[in-house]
Amino acid sequence: MTTRKEGLLQIQKISCYKIPSGQRVEILKQFFPSSRKRPVKSVAFVSGLHGNELEGIYICYLLTKYLKELQKSQPEAFLGEIHIYPAVNPQATDNATRLWPFLSIDFNRQFGISEGNSPAINCAKELINNLKDSADIVVDFHASNLHLKETPQIRITEGFHKKLIPLAVHCNVNLIWVHPLSAMFKSTLGYNMNQSKVPTLVIETGIALRINQDFSNRILLGMLNLLYQVGVLATKKPPPTVSNPIIVHPSQVIPIHSKYAGLFIGHTDIKKNILKGEMIGEVVDAKNGKTLQEITATEDGFLFTMREHPLVYPGALLGRIAKNIIA
Amino acid sequence: MKETILSIQSPFAPPIELAQYTWKGPKPKNSVSIVSGIQGNQLNGIYLCSRLVRFLNSVESGKEPGYYLKGSIKIIPAVNSPAIFEGKALWSFHDLDMNLAFPGNEQGEVIERIADSVCRHTKDSQFGVIIKSADLNYNDAPHLFCLNPDGLAKDFARSLGAQNVREPKDSSTFKLSLHGHWIDEMITSVVLSAGKENHLDITLCEDILPGLINSLLWAGALGNDHKELIKYRVKFNKQNKETLISSHAGGFFLPKVTLGSEVKKGQKIGDIFDIHSNATLESVLANSSGYLVTLRNHPIIYQKEVIAVLLEKSKFRFWS
Repeated sequence: MTTRKEGLLQIQKISCYKIPSGQRVEILKQFFPSSRKRPVKSVAFVSGLHGNELEGIYICYLLTKYLKELQKSQPEAFLGEIHIYPAVNPQATDNATRLWPFLSIDFNRQFGISEGNSPAINCAKELINNLKDSADIVVDFHASNLHLKETPQIRITEGFHKKLIPLAVHCNVNLIWVHPLSAMFKSTLGYNMNQSKVPTLVIETGIALRINQDFSNRILLGMLNLLYQVGVLATKKPPPTVSNPIIVHPSQVIPIHSKYAGLFIGHTDIKKNILKGEMIGEVVDAKNGKTLQEITATEDGFLFTMREHPLVYPGALLGRIAKNIIA
Repeated sequence: MKETILSIQSPFAPPIELAQYTWKGPKPKNSVSIVSGIQGNQLNGIYLCSRLVRFLNSVESGKEPGYYLKGSIKIIPAVNSPAIFEGKALWSFHDLDMNLAFPGNEQGEVIERIADSVCRHTKDSQFGVIIKSADLNYNDAPHLFCLNPDGLAKDFARSLGAQNVREPKDSSTFKLSLHGHWIDEMITSVVLSAGKENHLDITLCEDILPGLINSLLWAGALGNDHKELIKYRVKFNKQNKETLISSHAGGFFLPKVTLGSEVKKGQKIGDIFDIHSNATLESVLANSSGYLVTLRNHPIIYQKEVIAVLLEKSKFRFWS
């Protein structure tokens, strides 16, 4: 592994491949070593598995900036190690695409796959091996897709919840969603790390191709608090104050779908304490000036997902409400 | 009979429709479903289905001497119609691989609704064939994929005319494919892969068509009292008997071998050239002997990508 130093911060190359012109694409991590000979714990932050999800990359930037300052002013604060992998699918990020360019495959469906040979599978193997070797706890940042805006939340697969909820509550998210296991998760980084007994939190926040500074700043505080709570950081100042998340199970999550094809015009943003019957938006037919469907809250609760992409087909997800939870 | 089994309203363009063709004879329990177009740019399968539709319509109207309808046949020729009409493998509105969407969701997004409809309309079939082209950037000699084939599945595979059967990778994502779903539903099924994306190879399709018709005869869905069933010779290849040949360098890959040929150990598969200077970066040699079932099609290649797949020769004189 090649290492470059910038002050106390070490930048390590964890994987690399050549593009056909011969130039190298490198997946890098920033490593903040412990001030102790025996680090308390090691926490890793990963972002950019999907190239168009920029929120996590920004959070990694905020985190690195903060930790670099802290390293200068209080190097003794680092009782454990911190590893930051800010852009693990660099070509996809540069192209602003969800999928791995050229191969058109989802990088976050390449983990735990032993067969095959492609830059994506090789990088997936090197990334997961590096994480297993480096980290006791992992946080994997995602930013929804092009269609939906998500409140800062952590999604946990049932079965891992006993280990993960005690960590997730420190992260300053609004919501923790415990959902059943589906086959589609089995090839993700999060699932495979958790299967390998390395607790891994998957954070969803914001929307693809955008950065919501408010959400990012909230998650930054959450990540710093997590680092304090697990003993990796200990500064003179107390840890940041964070809010308590709501923990929801599948029966509490009510999806709202469009019945029609048209344009969805939202009349509200993500909202706590939405009341049953309250207007969320409407689906309109632009061809004849008609409102096709008025979208109202079907339950009292927390509107934690909100559609941003205006184009909808019947069945399109317009929002999700965590019901009966007044935050 | 053609019917629209699903119609989804579009915001501005015509509705997204899923067409199914059915033919029924006196023994509907002898049933075969044939599906293609799960990826929007895999054109050979769509064309093959259209040829079968024409043939079966002719059978139905008595214009194919000797042939008659015996069981039930369903053909869904163009599953992922939004991607097909966009000219892409995946529909860009969602960028989701449709073959990771099965069994779908009746109330879900467009791709999930289509997947659900395909599953519901094929669930009672005894046999199933999914026709596809090679994966992105590759070209396939015609062959079948079949997971853990039992005697019945082997006989079905023998009726289709392809020389080779491979094992699909039984990964977590396989469970989300139509083939994976059909296996869960106990439908004896195979995937027929031939040719490459964005390309219609009429000669290849016409070579494959008789095997598909033979499989309908074998399954008892089609009858012909004067035609003898053909039991083709087929080699069932284990995954561990496949050799992947990979590139060490990236650049232009120019092949020196013919897809569907026997390759000897040490034979040159092709050369990789620098994309700027044309300097030879690597001569790619076969590291074992075998049948060249898959070959790189896209000339630009990354370092450490698979260039070719060889199926090792059987040690036995007769194929299983």
